[in-house]
Amino acid sequence: MPPGTISRRDMLRSVGTGLGAVGLARTLAAGTSSPNPLAVREPHFPAKAKHVIHLFLNGGASQVDSFDYKPMLGKYNGKPYPGGNLKTERKTGALMRSPFEFKEFGESGLKISEIFSNLGTCADDLCIVKSMYTDLPFHEPSLFMLNCGHRVAGHPSMGAWLTYGLGTENQDLPGYIVMCPGLPVIGPQLWSSAFLPGSFQGAYVRNDEEDPEKLVSYVRNPRLRPRQQARQVELLGKLNRRHLGQQGHAPELEATIHSMEVAFRMQVEALDAFDVRNESTRTRERYGDGDFARGCLIARRLVERGVRMVQVYYGNMQPWDTHQDIQRMRKLTADSDGPMAALIQDLKASGLLDETIVLISGEFGRTPTVEVSGRISVQNGRDHNSHGFSAVLAGGGFKGGLAYGNTDDFGFKAEENPVHPHDLHATMLHLMGFDHTRLTYRHSGRDYRLTDVEGKVVEALLA
Amino acid sequence: MRIKPAPTIGAFSALLCLCFASSARAQSGADAVEFFETRVRPVLAENCFACHTSTKLGGLEMVSRSALIKGGNSGPAIQPGHPERSLLLKAVKHSHERLKMPPQGKLTDEQIGNISVWIRDGAVWPDAPATQAGDASRITDEERNFWSFRPVREPEPPIVRDEARATTTIDRFVLKRLEENGLEPAPPADKRTLLRRAYLDLIGLPPTPRQVRAFVEDDAPDAFANIVDDLLASPRYGERWGRYWLDVARYSDDKLNSTQMEPYPQAYRYRDWVIKAFNDDMPYNLFVKAQIAGDFLEGGKNPNLVAGLAFYGLSPQFQDDRIDATGRGFLGLTVQCAQCHDHKFDPIPTEDYYALLGVFNSSKVDEFPLADEKTVAEYQKKTAEIAKEQKQLDEFLGIQARQLVEVLAGNTSSYLEAAWNVLGPLRRGVPEVAHEFLLDEETLERWARYLDHSPRDHPLLDRFTEFLTDPSPGNLRPWADEMETLVLDVLREKRRIDKENEIRLGGEDSSRARNEVELLSLERDRHFLWRDLGSAQAFTAAVGFDHGVLYYAGAEIDRFLPAAWREHADRLRAKIESLQKTLPEKYPFLHVVHDKDDPKNEHVHIRGSKDNLGAEVPRRFLSILGGREFKTGSGRLDLAESIAGPDNPLTARVMVNRVWLHHFGRGIVNTPSNFGRMGEKPSHPKLLDYLAARFVRNGWSIKAMHREIMMSDAYARGSESVGKNEGIDPDNRLFWRANRRRLDVEALRDSLLQVSGNLELSGGGEPTLVSDPANRRRTVYSYVSRRKLDKSLGLFDFPNPNRTSPQRIGTNTPLQGLFFLNSEFVMRQAERLSDRLIDEAGWDDAARIRRAYWLVYGRPPKKEELAMGHEYLRGGAGAWASYAQALLSSNEFLYIQ
Repeated sequence: MPPGTISRRDMLRSVGTGLGAVGLARTLAAGTSSPNPLAVREPHFPAKAKHVIHLFLNGGASQVDSFDYKPMLGKYNGKPYPGGNLKTERKTGALMRSPFEFKEFGESGLKISEIFSNLGTCADDLCIVKSMYTDLPFHEPSLFMLNCGHRVAGHPSMGAWLTYGLGTENQDLPGYIVMCPGLPVIGPQLWSSAFLPGSFQGAYVRNDEEDPEKLVSYVRNPRLRPRQQARQVELLGKLNRRHLGQQGHAPELEATIHSMEVAFRMQVEALDAFDVRNESTRTRERYGDGDFARGCLIARRLVERGVRMVQVYYGNMQPWDTHQDIQRMRKLTADSDGPMAALIQDLKASGLLDETIVLISGEFGRTPTVEVSGRISVQNGRDHNSHGFSAVLAGGGFKGGLAYGNTDDFGFKAEENPVHPHDLHATMLHLMGFDHTRLTYRHSGRDYRLTDVEGKVVEALLA
Repeated sequence: MRIKPAPTIGAFSALLCLCFASSARAQSGADAVEFFETRVRPVLAENCFACHTSTKLGGLEMVSRSALIKGGNSGPAIQPGHPERSLLLKAVKHSHERLKMPPQGKLTDEQIGNISVWIRDGAVWPDAPATQAGDASRITDEERNFWSFRPVREPEPPIVRDEARATTTIDRFVLKRLEENGLEPAPPADKRTLLRRAYLDLIGLPPTPRQVRAFVEDDAPDAFANIVDDLLASPRYGERWGRYWLDVARYSDDKLNSTQMEPYPQAYRYRDWVIKAFNDDMPYNLFVKAQIAGDFLEGGKNPNLVAGLAFYGLSPQFQDDRIDATGRGFLGLTVQCAQCHDHKFDPIPTEDYYALLGVFNSSKVDEFPLADEKTVAEYQKKTAEIAKEQKQLDEFLGIQARQLVEVLAGNTSSYLEAAWNVLGPLRRGVPEVAHEFLLDEETLERWARYLDHSPRDHPLLDRFTEFLTDPSPGNLRPWADEMETLVLDVLREKRRIDKENEIRLGGEDSSRARNEVELLSLERDRHFLWRDLGSAQAFTAAVGFDHGVLYYAGAEIDRFLPAAWREHADRLRAKIESLQKTLPEKYPFLHVVHDKDDPKNEHVHIRGSKDNLGAEVPRRFLSILGGREFKTGSGRLDLAESIAGPDNPLTARVMVNRVWLHHFGRGIVNTPSNFGRMGEKPSHPKLLDYLAARFVRNGWSIKAMHREIMMSDAYARGSESVGKNEGIDPDNRLFWRANRRRLDVEALRDSLLQVSGNLELSGGGEPTLVSDPANRRRTVYSYVSRRKLDKSLGLFDFPNPNRTSPQRIGTNTPLQGLFFLNSEFVMRQAERLSDRLIDEAGWDDAARIRRAYWLVYGRPPKKEELAMGHEYLRGGAGAWASYAQALLSSNEFLYIQ
């Protein structure tokens, strides 16, 4: 086994079914003898980034209306697409120009749509990959691909891989947290730990309420006062230590005692972390109203507290799935452009942006042609497009002010330096300190990894 | 090196004569091949190939006739036609002075004789291994000889040094390995620990205080055997062990629908069938066959066999899942890995995958009614009738509603002017204005609500907002007239487009058809104007509307209808209602698979791509397991027989290993669904074979297997560490002590319910939600979701039901700690427990503490524990419930020792 990989057996040991402090120290290079599977571990090599925030524009945001400026699209509006018959989900017709203006932002002069003009103010920190592509023009396989590196259910998500590889810095909070006001399409399978131990699955939190007690499960005891509970936990500790004393060497019992103590402290920490009411009015105004704004603000608070990965889904189901009317993007950005910008600015101001990768992306892009299929009742929207889309990255070692790769003249197909989600994952893992081919887990007879058998690090994106 | 003549040539000649009779047939080519394949190759495979194929010890590679003639470092291994001059024969006869093979023990005389005959007859060794079918040509002898593919042979129980300790045959095998490794078995567990272990193992519930006392006091030698028998006879047993199988079968009460919950209406019948099969001790081979081909057993009419087909009928709707679950679940083989290429580690050529894909592609998901034909026919007739009447009503009302839209749209100008009176500076009331303008009050109210809300998705009515601040807008009327013309024009165009689109769709209405066809639509802004006013469907942009402003749906429209029209609608409604009243609940049915009418072979998909087809592969079994060709229908029956047949080396081994795993917390093969090269090697290969052979010999009885395992000393050991063993075998791979195991989520929740006196033992039927506070049933009866697994099940490592799951991975997380500290569920059980203590022990603290220890831990408290309790309980009101909660959250309760 190459150094740095963690075998299934070692992992099992570390999650409590037979852990020896010696065994854990041997395998988990951090030198800790903590029996906690989420204890901090060192990656393969020194990392640029320690955290990931994924802002998910679920449904598939249109690249030609956001980050992939195509003047030819305006010029040839209403004309057929000359690039051949690319398969998408549904019938589309002629090219359709973007209803939005594009402007140059920052010193780098990145061209960004007016509906993202707040994000535009961060242009010099943004690394726009204009040449993303994925496998199929359907939501489910593409959601799985971007989250889990496979087209079907049953594979661990990126956040699960990261916490498996690195643990997390704050033992009083889950290492991987996913927010959505309800559920996106597919739902919890997208943040599943699949065959990795359950400690690495995303902790799902609805961000549709302000009161943190309503957000985090079991975080507050409805009956006992803190002092009473402290007494109870003390009793429990005594019972467990007596029991342990009779058992001799029993690391799994020690681990349970440890996680109970952490749970007790977590009550305070989690309530505070999720409570955006603790932010100044000024800050809250900068983020604005709405579930997504709250999600972005909580994401910042979580990363500040050492959470490894946070995902914020823009909304329930797939709001960015603009088949009928591309004008909807104006509404979608009205409550997302501002908070995304505020988040990046805050991270930058505190210095955390240096070690935090912010990823803004949907599962695929949209056609530059207008959808004319029988599934819709008005023809002002765009169909799914797996051939080309844009992902925006910031921080964590990604090069700011960069527009990388390109689609064809009309924004349909990634042509210059195409980047697959496998490549994106490989690059993100690289910045997190991993050789993506070596962050593996032995399951059912083979070593699995986030990037399956593909993926290459896109060096040009690195600062 | 010169080989000396063998000194025992005389004896050898005699042996040769003895064998001559059997070799007489081995003259012709085909017979010679058969002789080699049946008498010689298996012997070589079992005894020689491990070192002399790819490993080439001594330079010898026994892969072909020519390789043997070439030989190794000691010269040619055979000289065809001359057994007496062949080094191979000397070596196996131990007549060579140095080479005595195989090192693990001399072959039998018969085996040696056969090798001799084979060499004498020319050492025929066909180029490709001759199997019946299947693409086995790429499988090497070394692969064939891999431990799990060798036939199961019941081994002789080994002799152990300390015979007194070898209570059972199982113990001989276990002790032998302990002795070999210098390990000392841990002392036996005390009776209480053993009893608790047996209860939690077999039925997933702890023993009651009474049961503990009875057992502790029972000194009869068969006391524990009686306990095991009682537990195996309990209906609670199937509820525990059935669940283990449901993990493998990726059982779920719903589909992974990407947008909403989509329950299977009667999935639970499979869950109940599995539980019953375990309780009835259905022979495991039949259990397997029922799940693959229950529709072919006993004429396909026995629901108790057909019910098993939900293994596929309820599975995720992907064939690769079905192949994966078949391979790993029944055979411990990762067949799915061969989808895009030959398996990288195991002898599973990619053709094998497509041979099985043909089977599943020739089957389809179906329902198997558990009602007589008449009931089924009647139900279907009635539902069709209701649907017909409903459609008629909907169509009738739809036409009226659309006409009403036109009628009301003809008054648009007046409504806009009236709305200005309501929303503008005058702020007049709706009823008054409607009266004055001779308009429908509700419609005006709707217009006002709509115009008051902005922004709209189109700008066409934006001018109205400007008029609102103007105390006497002179241009309002002309603008309103203009709008009326616009609205009527949009409605006209919409009608035209709809008609044209209907023609373009040609009656096709599936979403697939709609994806492909190019339809017409209104221009964007005009569309949204139409939608806001005339759409029959809900749209997100509207506030407080289920449909367009002018659209009156369902009964809303009644007041606009002339009497005769309304009577017509009412008649249809009455008819539907009366039909629905007589419609019985849907008859019970099973989720199954059936054969399609035209079973077909598949082609290999090169690199897994269905656009790149290779050769057609006949439907057949895995090459390494004989490659039997499938003849009946889809081939499921042949598949079932191949898997559950007595010659399959994997099926029994895999299942006894699963049973062992759940008793010991670790399998003999600790990758229970992977017996291939990348799986773990068995820690006790002979024990595994002993158990597998016994299993088959005992009619594939799982209960007999439990009995045999549980009566061993190995099972009854304590979990305490033995100092010197830790350095040798810290993982306890050799079972020198019992493994400490945390209760899985089912045993945890059920035990909490039982101890607090809340467990409800009614079993079977519709699933209940774990999250429902009123749900006090055993956890196995909970709703299991592929889309959204219950929060607390997920928290405690319940397996993801989207794939077959070999074993639970027990995690230990702070979030679980929060569950014990703060969840309503745990606190409720703690409160109930503290109430129960009063009921059963009165108000005396000491008595209650004692009772609590008996209920929760199955033992009396020690003196210090009593004192600890007293001290804590001085904490005042509520202290008892919080005390009970601490006991229920403690490790002694949560772990099987």
